[in-house]
Amino acid sequence: MSSAITNTFLIARREYLERVRAKSFLVMTVLIPALMGAAIFGIALVNRNQKSAQHVAVLSDDPAFAANIQAELAAADTANKPVVDIYPLHDASARANLDTQLKSKGSDLDGYLVVTPSSTSGQRPIFQWVPRVTSDVITRGRVADASRGALIRQKLAASGMSAPQIDDLLASVDLSAGNGKSDHAGAAVASAWAMYFLMYFIILFYGMNVARSIIEEKTSRIFEVLLATIKPEEMLAGKVIGVGSVGLTQVGIWLALAVGYAKFSTAGLDIHMLPSAGQCGLFALFFLLGFLLYASLAAALGAMNNSEQELQQMQIFLMLPLIFSSMIIFNVITSPDGVVAKAASFFPFTAPLIMYTRVIVGKPGAAAVAGSLAILVATIAIVLWLASRIYRVGILMYGKKPNLPEILRWLKYS
Amino acid sequence: MPIVELQNIRKVYDTKVAVEGLTLAIEPGTMFGLLGPNGSGKTSSIRMMIGMTVPDSGTVQLFGKPFARTSLHKVGYLPEERGLYKKMKVLDQLIFLGQLHGLDESTARKRSLAWCERMEIAEAIEKKTEELSKGMQQKIQFIAALLHEPDLIIMDEPFSGLDPVNAELLMKTLIELRAAGKAILFSTHRMDQVEKLCDSIAIIFKGKLVLSGGMREIKNRYPRNRVQMTFTGPDSFLKNPAVASFENYTGIAEIKLTSPDAAQSLLHAAVAAGAHVNRFEVMEPTLEEIFIETVKGTPEYAEAGGRIDV
Repeated sequence: MSSAITNTFLIARREYLERVRAKSFLVMTVLIPALMGAAIFGIALVNRNQKSAQHVAVLSDDPAFAANIQAELAAADTANKPVVDIYPLHDASARANLDTQLKSKGSDLDGYLVVTPSSTSGQRPIFQWVPRVTSDVITRGRVADASRGALIRQKLAASGMSAPQIDDLLASVDLSAGNGKSDHAGAAVASAWAMYFLMYFIILFYGMNVARSIIEEKTSRIFEVLLATIKPEEMLAGKVIGVGSVGLTQVGIWLALAVGYAKFSTAGLDIHMLPSAGQCGLFALFFLLGFLLYASLAAALGAMNNSEQELQQMQIFLMLPLIFSSMIIFNVITSPDGVVAKAASFFPFTAPLIMYTRVIVGKPGAAAVAGSLAILVATIAIVLWLASRIYRVGILMYGKKPNLPEILRWLKYS
Repeated sequence: MPIVELQNIRKVYDTKVAVEGLTLAIEPGTMFGLLGPNGSGKTSSIRMMIGMTVPDSGTVQLFGKPFARTSLHKVGYLPEERGLYKKMKVLDQLIFLGQLHGLDESTARKRSLAWCERMEIAEAIEKKTEELSKGMQQKIQFIAALLHEPDLIIMDEPFSGLDPVNAELLMKTLIELRAAGKAILFSTHRMDQVEKLCDSIAIIFKGKLVLSGGMREIKNRYPRNRVQMTFTGPDSFLKNPAVASFENYTGIAEIKLTSPDAAQSLLHAAVAAGAHVNRFEVMEPTLEEIFIETVKGTPEYAEAGGRIDV
C-alpha cells in the first residue's frame, strides 16, 4: 500500500536529516579522510626510513666473486644503491673493525658476510652472515639471494659465457608482453578490495548505527508511540534506508573529492580500478544490495537486543560473513568459475563481494548474475520480515533478553 | 454506533493469559475508564484495540467496522511508557508524528503551534526535547496524540508524573474534547483520578472483566452507607450499633454504617454525646472500594493469595 511507502519514507527522511544535520556527521566526513591520509603518510614515512641491506661488508679472497655479490645487491635495490665494502678474508684487523662497527650506534653497517672457500675444490664456499640485528630478515634474505646469484654467475662465466650474455640470461621475465597497457587482473583485485573496504567501513559504522538507533528507540520508548500508527516492518525498512543513505552520502562525498583530486592533481594518479561502465554499474548495484542486506541483519540484531552492551557482543555476527568473503577472495580470483566461487556467489551474505569479483575476472554469465541479484533481494526482504517479527514480539515482552528458542517461537506469533 | 467494540477477546503470551473473554464498547462523546491493578491486562487490551497485536480469538471493531489499519489515523494513543526523540526539536518532532498520522506538513505545523499555545508550552517549540522538564515532555506527548484530531483518544496512565496544575490542564482539555464528541478511553490503576471524569467503566483483574457499566448505574448498585464526618469532642458515639466499622483519624472519621438509613440516628447520637460536628456527609462508595469489594468475590483473587497490587 502507498501508506506503507509513505510511512517508510517519513521514517527514512527523519533518520537521514537528523543524522546529516548533526555536527558529528561533518566532523566524521572531514576527520576520517584526514586520519586515513595521515596514517598513509605516516606509514610511507616509516617505510622510507626503514633501510634494509644499505651497508654490507663482504670478506672474501676472491675479488671477482665479491664483486658479483656487490652487483647482485645493487640490482636488488635500484632505488637506494647499497654500500658494499670488500675486505680480504684473512685481514684480522678488518674483521675486528667490522665487529666494533656492528656494536657501535654511530655506524650504519647492517652486517658482514664471510665467504670461506671449501676445502675440496669444485665445492661451494661456506657462507657466514654476521648481522647487527638477527631479526633483520630482509637484509639476510637479500644477502642470501645475492650470494646465490654470484655463485651462478661464477659458474656461467667459468663455462665461457660473457658478462652481457649472463646478464641477458638472468634478467627477470616479463609475462605481460603483448597484453597491452591495461592489467586486467590487477584492476579486478583492486576493485574487489575497494569494494571490500568500502563495505567493511560502511557496515561497521552505519550498519551498527541501524542497530543502535533501534535500540535507542527501545530505551526512549518512543516506539510505543510510533507503533500506534505504523508497522514494525515499515519502521525497520525506513531505518535501514535512512541510515544507509547517510553512509552512502558520506562515501559519495569522499569519492567525489577523490575523483576531483585525481582530475586536478598534477601528480597524475593512475586510477583505473573500474574497468568499464557496465562493471561500474554492477559495482554500485552489488554494493548497495550488500549494504542493505547487512543493514537488515543489523536491524535484526537491534530488534533482538535491549542494550548497546548486548549488541556489542553480537557485532561479530555481522562482520563474520564479510571477513569470510575477504578470506576466499583470492581463491575466487585465481579460479573464478570453481566450486568455491560458484557457491559463494549465490550465498547471499558473500554474494555481493564474490559475484562482483567473478564478473570482473571470470565469465559467470548474465543468468547467474541475475540469479545472484534475485537471491540478494529476496534475502533482504526475508531478513527484514524476520527482524520485524522479532521486533514486534520482542518489544511486547520487553525486560528480558530472549534466547534462541524464544526467538524461534516468536517468529510464529503475530 | 460504538467507536470501539471488543467482543470476547482473548490473548495468551506463551503460558500467561493476558486477556480472557473481554467484551466492552465505548460510545462517542463519552469517557470510558479501563481500570485495574498493574499487570491486569489493560495495556494488552489497548494494544489489540489498535492492532499492535492481534487477539488469539474474539473480534475488534473500530468505528463500526472490523479492525483495519486505515482507521488508525482516527486514533490518538498516549502509551503508558512513552518517549520522544531526545535530540530532536519539539516542533520537528510534532510535525513528524503528525505526518505519521496522515497529516501534511503545513497542517501539522499549524496545529502544533496552536496546541503548544493551548498547552502553555509555546516557549519550548524551538528547544530540543532533552532540554525540557519531564512535565513539558509529557505535554508534548499529549499533543502528539491529539494533533490529527482523532475521534478515539486512548490515554494510558496520562497523569502519572504530572504535577496537579498540569494534570488539571490535561483533564480540562480532555473534557472539552469529550464535549466535542470524541470518545476517550482512560486506562489507569489510579481509580480516584478518573472517578469524577468517566461516564462508564470496565474493571479488569487478572485479564478478566470483573465489573462494567455506566458510572452512575454502578454506584447506584452499591448502598450509600458511608459517612465522613469532622468533629471535636468525645468520640464515644462511634460505638453506636448503627456503625459497622470506622476509622478515626483524629477528628476526621470514616464510618461504614450497617444500613443507609442509620445515618440520621448516628448524627443524633453524636450530637447527644456532646460532639461538636463540623461536617457530616453521607457518601457513596468510592470506585476503589467498589473495585476491592468486587475483586474479593472472584476466584482469581483467591488464586492470587488474597493480594491486589493496586
